[in-house]
Amino acid sequence: MSTDGNLSGKRFIVPIGPQHPALKEPGHFSFTVDGEIVTDASVRLGYAHRGIEKATESRNWTQSLYLLERICGICSHVHALAYCLGVEKLAGVEVPPRAQAIRVLVAELERIHSHFLWLGVAAHEAGFDTLFMYTWRDRETVMDILEALTGNRVNYSANVLGGVKFDVTPEIGDTIRRGLEFLEGRTHHYLEVVTTDQVFLQRTRGVGVMSLEQAETLGVVGPTARASGMIRDIRVEAPYAAYADYPVQPVLAEAGDLEARFIVRIKELFESYRIIRQILDTLPVGELQTRMPRRVKAGETVSRVEAPRGELFYFIKSNGTDNPERVKVRTPTLCNMASVLVTAVGHQLADMPMILAGIDPCFSCNDRTVIVADADGAAYTWEQIRHHGIAFYQGK
Amino acid sequence: MSSAQERLAAARDILAAWVNDFQEPEPERLDAGIAPADLMAAVRALQTAHWGYLAAITGLDLGAEAGQLEVLYHFCSGAAVMTLRVPIPRQESSVPSICEIIPSASVFERELAEMLGVTVIGTPNTDRLFLADDWPLDSYPLRKDAFVGSAEKEQGA
Amino acid sequence: MDVLRTLFTLMIFPGGLFILFNGMVYEWADRKLVARLQNRVGPRWFQPLADMLKLLAKEEVVPASVDARLFIGLPVIALAGVLTAALYLPIAGLPPAYGFPGDLIVTVYMLSLLTLCTGIAGANTNNRFSLVGATRTLTQLFSYEAPFMLAMLGPAVAAGSWQIGEVMAYAAGHPVILTQPVGFVIALIGLMGKLEMRPFDAPEAETEIVAGAMTEYSGRGLALFYLGRYVELIAGLTLVAAFYLGGIQNPLDYFVKTLALLLVLVGLQTLMTRLRIDQTVGLWWRYGTLLVLLQWFVTLLLRS
Repeated sequence: MSTDGNLSGKRFIVPIGPQHPALKEPGHFSFTVDGEIVTDASVRLGYAHRGIEKATESRNWTQSLYLLERICGICSHVHALAYCLGVEKLAGVEVPPRAQAIRVLVAELERIHSHFLWLGVAAHEAGFDTLFMYTWRDRETVMDILEALTGNRVNYSANVLGGVKFDVTPEIGDTIRRGLEFLEGRTHHYLEVVTTDQVFLQRTRGVGVMSLEQAETLGVVGPTARASGMIRDIRVEAPYAAYADYPVQPVLAEAGDLEARFIVRIKELFESYRIIRQILDTLPVGELQTRMPRRVKAGETVSRVEAPRGELFYFIKSNGTDNPERVKVRTPTLCNMASVLVTAVGHQLADMPMILAGIDPCFSCNDRTVIVADADGAAYTWEQIRHHGIAFYQGK
Repeated sequence: MSSAQERLAAARDILAAWVNDFQEPEPERLDAGIAPADLMAAVRALQTAHWGYLAAITGLDLGAEAGQLEVLYHFCSGAAVMTLRVPIPRQESSVPSICEIIPSASVFERELAEMLGVTVIGTPNTDRLFLADDWPLDSYPLRKDAFVGSAEKEQGA
Repeated sequence: MDVLRTLFTLMIFPGGLFILFNGMVYEWADRKLVARLQNRVGPRWFQPLADMLKLLAKEEVVPASVDARLFIGLPVIALAGVLTAALYLPIAGLPPAYGFPGDLIVTVYMLSLLTLCTGIAGANTNNRFSLVGATRTLTQLFSYEAPFMLAMLGPAVAAGSWQIGEVMAYAAGHPVILTQPVGFVIALIGLMGKLEMRPFDAPEAETEIVAGAMTEYSGRGLALFYLGRYVELIAGLTLVAAFYLGGIQNPLDYFVKTLALLLVLVGLQTLMTRLRIDQTVGLWWRYGTLLVLLQWFVTLLLRS
């Protein structure tokens, strides 16, 4: 901790991050406080910046898929999905309906796992560790399902360009149904807890309120927007993959406070359970993949999907070669981040972790690109880093 | 909510005063080429008409030969995506900031500025958002010629 | 021989070593039970001891810009304070090692010394988390201390004595928990505040201010503060059990009653969400203090 003049001056700044128990990933927030009241807030990102957008330009279409999937460890599937949908659109490839349905199935399972994770983290930020422990225990159920289905707990690699990699067999279907039944029971319980526990409500009700008007101005997306009564759900507005066949009912709340965000996310879980069951009941028969050309026709496309945290926006440009010309990723957290800074002001320092967690921030998603620089400031290229790495480990 | 086609037709009406180069590269998408000078007016018109929301700002480097960058402002409304394409020169490139109309554009503009070296005139915050503090000031990672010099340097060494 | 006996009392039993180990065992029980209730495995039985040995063996880093004497001295004072308090208490079910008319007041003050030292220790450093933590620690001290004190004095007023031994003798013959239920609840919850247990752990809310006032402490200093808290846990439980649960006559009595109280504390900790500091203060002054004052007046009226 520095001993600079901030203490004797008028501004008392409490830094949260880059390393801080409240943050599960690196980010840096400076909260200027007057006693316990926050009077100003600012953010600095980029601590998990890995140069992924740039890196896609020197990889072919297939390699980029696996790279993009690793942008985020929580919502890996939606990144791959957004990319695949975009590239398939550019290449003019029709993906079989069974593959599209399986993509939606995995996306919804991922949403369940992400929302459970969030519920735990948010409870922990509020200092309600019991809820945190229980939600994470139950989250294991959906992690096990994902592992049984795809072989991985995270980074499932469900997508390939032109389809999906694995099938959903009736046995797996039964496993999923059993898991969902358990989770549904638990979800009802959690909904009851967050709406009736008086002590917990003291920390969530009326805290971090964002009105519908503010939400529109700040351009928030996903559950954060829906908790303020704004229908912003790509699954509803512009159905992609198989969402047109399995329509989603948007879950809305009016209050715009933390309690509303809890309610929206928990109620979305029920919607996910319903969709997954519907898919399992009516899974179209057919192929899992179509052939994908190695080169993709020149052109540009926009691909939007609804990640657990909100709208994920991909802009993909092809120049007709093996490699993408440009892949632009705009993650939901970037949109929501500004809302934290605005709603923070006027609240107590104690509410900061909660308000921050309220948007379900994902810094890895946010950051994306790498900086590796040597002492005189010259940067390495990806190729150089690879060679450097190989040489380094051979020397060991 | 009206269909995506109706939304796009409405966007055409709103933007007709500044844009004469409309293209529909894909169904439900509209591209509108616009000069940097007209950007503010066009964005304000969209905002006044409550047409969608700013989803992202993409910077494109068209390469050294073309000598141009392109800044893309993606607006989404339901399933419709309307993109304002602003071509700017590669040298001394700049666009006006739209933050006074859409405050949430700030982070997008900061990203654009540090990744592609586009000066965003009048943007409220010019601090680094993603790049490290010791990242060289004149190096813009998303430009096509970024890192070329350092690669040669290593080969020479 | 007298000197030897005194030394034994202070260093080995019931003061000194015994109470430190007793504290560690109770701390372990607390952590383990909370963990089991939260569906976790929890620490192994020797964990608090292992923590203490490790910390005591480690270098104590004294940060720049602090008053070094204060930084090193405060943990010692804090631990000494609670150990002194323990001498007046019926630790392990034996009669208090020392006692004089009015020792109750001294004991309660000695128990506050730990919190006070924590607050000053936090304010002594230049760390922002520590400063916020220290402010919260002291704010909280002023909110629960008065009601806790009053709750402790309730049985004393009924007994007509300020000496712990005599109040205990009174408690053994009267069901104080039934005649002064409010006092019991306040005393127990006040104890949670003293020990900074959830929901009163705002002063060390890790998701906001890391470890609060303790952030800059490492090694020996941290170990002494922790030991101080373990002893305070024992002392607090003993005091409440002795006053409200019919006194403490023998070792069995002691362990059963204090562990029963600990179980209640564990349950409360698991069920609660951390309160904000303003909520804590509001709770104590709006409800705690008023209720216990009411109880006091009723007790006084009935007695006269």
